[in-house]
Formats: sequence, C-alpha cells, structure tokens
Amino acid sequence: MSENAVRRLIAMFEAISAAVETEKDHLSELDGAIGDADHGTTMSLGFLAVKAELAKIDVDGAQPADVMATAAGAFLNAVGASTGPLYATAFRRAAQALAGANELDLGTTAAMIDAIGSGIRERGKGQRGDKTMLDAWLPAADAAGAALTDNKASTEFWSEVVAAAEAGANATRSMVAAKGRAARVRERSLGHVDPGAASAVVVLRAMASVLS
Amino acid sequence: MTTRASSSRKGGANRGAAIDTSDAIPLRYGDDPYVWACWLYYEDGMTQGEIADAMGVSRATVNSYLAEAREKGIVQISLEPARLASLTIAQELKRHFGLTDCLVVPSDDNARPLIDRLGVAAAQALPKLLKSGDTLAVAWGRTVLSVGEHADIASLQDMTVVQATGGTTATFSYTPELCAAAIAQSVSARCVNITAPAIVKSSAMREMLLDEPLLQEQFETLARANRVLFGISSLRPNSTIHTSGFFESVSLQHYLAAGAVGVVAGRFIDERGRPVAGPLDDRTIGISLDMLRRIETRILVAGGFDKVPALLAALRGGYANVLITDAATGHGILRADGVTGLDGRLSQKPRVTQAPSSYRTHVKKFLNNPNQVVEEMLDGVVRAHAGYLQPINGSNRALVARNGPRPGKVGLVIGGGTGHEPCFLGYVGKGLADAVAVGNIFSSPPPDPIVQCAAAASGGEGVLFVYGNYAGDVMNFEMAAEIAEEKGIKVRTVLTTDDIASSPVEDREGRRGVAGNFFIFKIAGAACDRGLPLEACEAVTRKANLRTYTVGVALEPCSMPQTRRHNFEIGPDDMEIGMGIHGEPGVTRERIKSSDEITDSIMDNIFKEMKAASGDRVAVLINSFGGTPMMELYILFRRVAQRLEAKNIRIEANWIGHYCTSLDMVGASISILHLDQELTELLHHPCETAFLRIS
Repeated sequence: MSENAVRRLIAMFEAISAAVETEKDHLSELDGAIGDADHGTTMSLGFLAVKAELAKIDVDGAQPADVMATAAGAFLNAVGASTGPLYATAFRRAAQALAGANELDLGTTAAMIDAIGSGIRERGKGQRGDKTMLDAWLPAADAAGAALTDNKASTEFWSEVVAAAEAGANATRSMVAAKGRAARVRERSLGHVDPGAASAVVVLRAMASVLS
Repeated sequence: MTTRASSSRKGGANRGAAIDTSDAIPLRYGDDPYVWACWLYYEDGMTQGEIADAMGVSRATVNSYLAEAREKGIVQISLEPARLASLTIAQELKRHFGLTDCLVVPSDDNARPLIDRLGVAAAQALPKLLKSGDTLAVAWGRTVLSVGEHADIASLQDMTVVQATGGTTATFSYTPELCAAAIAQSVSARCVNITAPAIVKSSAMREMLLDEPLLQEQFETLARANRVLFGISSLRPNSTIHTSGFFESVSLQHYLAAGAVGVVAGRFIDERGRPVAGPLDDRTIGISLDMLRRIETRILVAGGFDKVPALLAALRGGYANVLITDAATGHGILRADGVTGLDGRLSQKPRVTQAPSSYRTHVKKFLNNPNQVVEEMLDGVVRAHAGYLQPINGSNRALVARNGPRPGKVGLVIGGGTGHEPCFLGYVGKGLADAVAVGNIFSSPPPDPIVQCAAAASGGEGVLFVYGNYAGDVMNFEMAAEIAEEKGIKVRTVLTTDDIASSPVEDREGRRGVAGNFFIFKIAGAACDRGLPLEACEAVTRKANLRTYTVGVALEPCSMPQTRRHNFEIGPDDMEIGMGIHGEPGVTRERIKSSDEITDSIMDNIFKEMKAASGDRVAVLINSFGGTPMMELYILFRRVAQRLEAKNIRIEANWIGHYCTSLDMVGASISILHLDQELTELLHHPCETAFLRIS
C-alpha cells in the first residue's frame, strides 16, 4: 500500500511538472502584466528539479512523507525567488501532514491540500484577498474539507477542489495585489489574474488527474 | 472667387446662387473642401445649412465633411484631459453597472486628501439627489462624515435623517451618531438616531432590544427611508473596519475565510455582492442588506484603490445606484470588471495605427545561451576578481572574500538577484562584505547558498545579513537564518529600505532597498571589520539605513536576456520618478524635463525627509541604472552639489558611476547618506573590493 501511495505521489509530481511545462509561457505572460514575467520559468525550474530528485528515490523503502520532503528540498534549492520558499514550505508541511501515513485516502489527501495552503500562508504571511496563490489554495483546501465531510467520492472530491481553486483564481482579477512585487504596481494589478493563483490551478488540476 | 465666398459668409446672403464647387474653394483652403467646411463651421460659426449654400453643396455633404474632418484629425476637439477622463469613466460606470447617476472627481492633483475631495463632490451632488420631505438614511465612515462636513444645503424642507445602524463607542470621530448628526445639520433635517449598539453581545439581546417600542419606532423611520447615503469599507488590514475596532478580529477572520471583500452598513458582502453569513449577523442592529437594496436612491461615496474590490462587489450586488468616486478608483473598478478599451478613450492622443517599418521588438545583447547568462557572468566575475573573492565549495552562487572572514569578527553576508552588477558581488572583500549569495536575474537566491555564505563568513561572533527589502529575498534569507541558527551561527538581519519613493514615510519599513545599499553595506562592513560585536554592528547598520535616502528616475525600460524585450514600457516623452531597480513604478510618471528640474524634484523629496542642518555632512552617490552614461551622471551631480551647497551641507565623499544597476535600464538614482561622526569614521574605514577601494 505504501509503495502504491509513494508511486502515486511521484506520478503526481510528474504530472504537475508536465502540466507546468505546457503552461509555462502562459504563466510567464500573466506575470509580465504585473510582475517580472518569470513565473512560468520559475515554476518549470522548480518542478523539473523535483522530478529529477524524485527519480533518485528508493520507491520501495520510502514513505509518502519522504516524497513530500524530497520535493520540498528540491524545489527550494532550484528556485529561490519567492515561489521557492512558498512551495518548499508548503511541501514540508505536507510531509508533516503525511507523516506515518501509508495510504493516500481522501482524508490524507484533504490534510495534504490543507497543509500546502497553510504552509504557503505561514511563509508568505498573507491571507485571502491579497491576490496571491493563496486565493486558489485556501478555497481548494476548504472545498477538500467540505467534500470529505460530505463523504464525496474521489472524482467528485477532486472536481470540487479544482472548481474552488479555479473560482478563487478568477476572483483575483478584481483584487489589488497586497504582497510581493505585484503589490508595487498597486492598481495596475487590477483586471489581471494573479499568476501564482493561476499556476496553483495548473498544479491542482494535475494532482486531480493522477489522484482522482 | 474669394470675394464671393467671403460675402456669402455673412449669414449666407447669396442663398441659392449656384456655383461650381471645384471653382468655389477659396485659395487659402488649398484644394481641401474639408478645411473650408470646418473653417466656416468652427471659426465663423455658420450653420451647416449656411455652409451648404456657401460651398454650393448639399447639407448632407457638409455634414459628412465635418464628420470626416474629425475622423481624419483635421479638426480635433480637446477637453482638459483630467476632466475628459473623469467624464468618460463616469459615463462608462453608469452604463456598465446600470447606475442612475455617477459622479467622478478628476484625479488631477493630490493636493487635498481624497476623502475631502469626495466629501466636496458628494456635497455638490446632494442637492440634485434630495428633495424636500425625503427621509435619508445615513451609514457611517470617514467619507460619509466628510460629506456632512462639506455639505450645506439650505433649500430643503421637512427632511428626516435617520441613522442606518446602531451606535458605537466614540473612540473615533466618524461614529454612526456623528455621521447622522453632521448630515442632518447640513440638510437642516430632523435627526433620528438608532439608540442601541450596532453590535450587541448576543442574539437574545438583539431580540429584546428590537422589541422595545422606542427602537421599533426608530426602525419604522428607517424603513421609510427613500434615500440612503453610505460609504464602504474594504477588509484590508488598514481599513476602517480594522482600525475602528468596530468588529472583533476573530469574527473578521471568519468573514474573510468565507470570502468577504467589503462591508456595507455593517454587513459583509463577497466579491459578487452576495451577503456573507457569519457570527455577527444576528448580533447586528441596523439596516439589512435587503432593506438597503429596496431604497429608491442609494448613494455610495467612496474612493481609493484598496476599496476597488469592495466597490465592485457593492456595484455587482446592486447596493448602490448612484456612485460618487474619483477617476483612478473608477478606472480601477472598470478594469477589475474586465472593461477594456477604456484606456484609448481616456486621452486624445492621435492614434498610431501602424508601427513604422523600422520598429524593433528585440534588444541586441552579447549572448551565448540566454539560459546560461548568470553562470557565464559568474565565471567571468570569478576570473576577473579572483584577487578579492572566491567560490565557496566550488559554487559560484556563493562567493567569499579572500582575507575577509577571520576569527573574532562578525561576518557580513549580502546578496540578492543578479542584473544589478556591480551589486552585490562587487562589494565583497576585506573591510566590506565577507560573502555574497547570488540569485537568478532579479530573483532572490535560495537559502542553501545563503547558508553556505553564513558558514564561510562566520568567525564565531555571529553573522549579519544585510539585503534589500523584497518579499522573495526576505523569505529565502529568513529560511537561511533559521538553518544557520540550527548550525549554531548567530544571525542578525538588517533590511535595506532606502528608496523613499517606494512608500510613504509612515510605511518606512515597507520601502524597498536600492542603490543606497552601497552606503549601508560600506558602514556594515566597516563596523564588522573594526571588530564590533554583532549587536553593535546591527545597530549602526540600521542607523545607516535610516539615514540613507534614494530616489531613482527611469527614462527607458530594461530588457531581460531571456526575452530580449523590455520588461515594462515608458512612453516616448515620459520618465518615471521613483522607479525601482526592477522597474517597479514610482511616485509619478510625467513628461521628461531638464536634468536640473529632475534633480530638483528628487532633491526636494530627499530634503523633505532628511533633516540636515547647515554645516552637516553627507555622502553622495550618483548611480546609473546601466544605460545612462557618465556624462549625464556628472550633470546630475553638478546640480546635487549646487543644492547641497545652497543649504551649506558639506559633501564628505561622493561616488559617480555604475554602482547598482538594473540591466540596461536608462536612468539614474541619487542617494544621500546623512553622516554623523560615527558614520563618517566608518565610511572612511579602509576596504578592498572589486568596486570600492578605500585605503
């Protein structure tokens, strides 16, 4: 079982990396409107490093938490910028949430999504409405919690999580950035989707494609 | 022919006289019937019928001449730009949100606070919106109070003003009671207060209070309101909602988590304007959102970028049908709601339909592999400056000073993104920084190289991190500091915040660090080299940061090696004062002026903050952003020196050149370090680095 969960998590990161490669230019374009046009490149660098590092992992001996911890370290050292510490902290918290878990049932999955969201919130000291990736991750975490409570099946669970993230990311269009470099452009950030929220949707969709 | 035309001008006396158009055009109009028609219409004030007679063409032809003349740009009608913009925005807001009316104050000057300008505007609009005998409900807030302070309408009779929510403690000046009273006084109305708290302890208490006949009577008055005046609060940390202490923060977190973006008359709404349910709902005494929406005239007065999401939500939810705001906010609301094409209408610049064929989209650069620029540059740096620095553990992303770190000395670690050369690696060497962590272009290094720098710089007495205040750098250096502490290295941090244009003085800590880094690193390095303890090094570095003032001006954007395109744009005749070293916007974007005028505006800003007295000493840094040549830097310095001289401020030392660049950006920054005795000594302390040597 553990082996299965480890393989699925590795497959999940591979899917994320592939999805980010596809969306790379689009994400950089979004960033160009309000930042320094490197978000696609940064995300791509980070997940390629994660993929490379996970290729070295001992699949049979590892626990799900090890996959997350490895991803955290790889992402951090590949990226820097602000995305690095944010996702690295997110995956580190996810590793803590997965500690001891051998299976990826929906309860564990919901805890993992929640840990990612709260990791990003702690590191970035942000909140909803700041026009950041939190505007996608926090609603996704809430939706996961709600779907779990309602005993939703895996497919529905994930479609609700992804839908919540998409709605959250779209809502950033009408927000004024409060964090990061986009906060410096103040009102000029209006009307643009936050690239971090958009990439969070890409990540969650890829997670859903493997885990649902 | 000329006489013929001129006589016909006078009231079209020769009506009906048939003439051949081609012969009839007076010489001075050339061959152009458009110019002729326009002249007669706009300058001579003739009617289209009279012109038709004069030109011997049909009235329809005249009409089409005039229309085409405008399209071709022969005639340009100009309105004062600020007024045109606010009219256009008001019209668009009215159309887009189906408002009854909309008033937009031009954002032309910031001479008066926005709240005052909105108050004045609403005060002028009120006589058109109110009628004798009206019942006006009034919510509370700074802007509403400002309306009350500015309005004075004597012509209304039999008015009733009713407070829209319960009351609050009077710890601030814009309580519901005061707002209602101020408005009541300004429209000579009878004032009905809601004599209960806006928020009570429990829903049972609310039920009991609402059962009181007195309150029932007050609510009946409120229910009769046919107009309502209200502001809006965002949920941003510095909004009224937080600062007034009106709501408990625990409850606020609940509403935030549920997606609330704004507060209307004490009620929370989400981004679509839907009510957000929460713990305060059945403890709140005041107008409900449904009641509000049923009122005939609902006047919303608010402005400020922070309020855009809340305003948009209120408009989407139909809570207002009259909006009074300012042009910048109005524009923001429209953009936030995806209204495009407005920008073109906001100015009357002739449209450029076609780019000239010589137009280039890419900037030329010396490149091999664009993805390897940082590695290739570092290889060059390490070879060029091997006398001052060397890689740590074989990685060029962490460089340590030769002869820098030594036992018993506090280590100084600096770092940041690349693209700013010689910042930061040019300042590594004996007497200055001990190690530098190097990131990608405009992007912070990850924690790992920073930790390696800390370890290499450590002489057992702790390490000082000094770097610019940017979100990415802060997170990576903080994580590195945590890891270094775990390894037993004591770390203290000073964030540089010398860019006085990046945030107002009240938000000093939110400012970014720019070229003034040069001075701050120098002071920190000298303090460390003198063997001062960690706390003392930190303290004097903080002092240097507080006394360093920088303002930059960008003339042309920079271009990234990967894309070879500009990473933002500045208009052909424009400059941006206060621009940061990654192209972050500054205080104003305006038409370029003479060098002395630009310098003066920078120095005025610096003098506003730097309290230097006659006889004080300063150090001056004139820094190129990369594309501005030395020649122009000396022209800037000349004026800086004149200004300082006029105040009898002595220049202790000055540097002119490329010290903290932004790739190939054209522009420069001026940094002034206001010296005292201690800083002067540290400034002169010897150091040996690739870009700064003092002996």
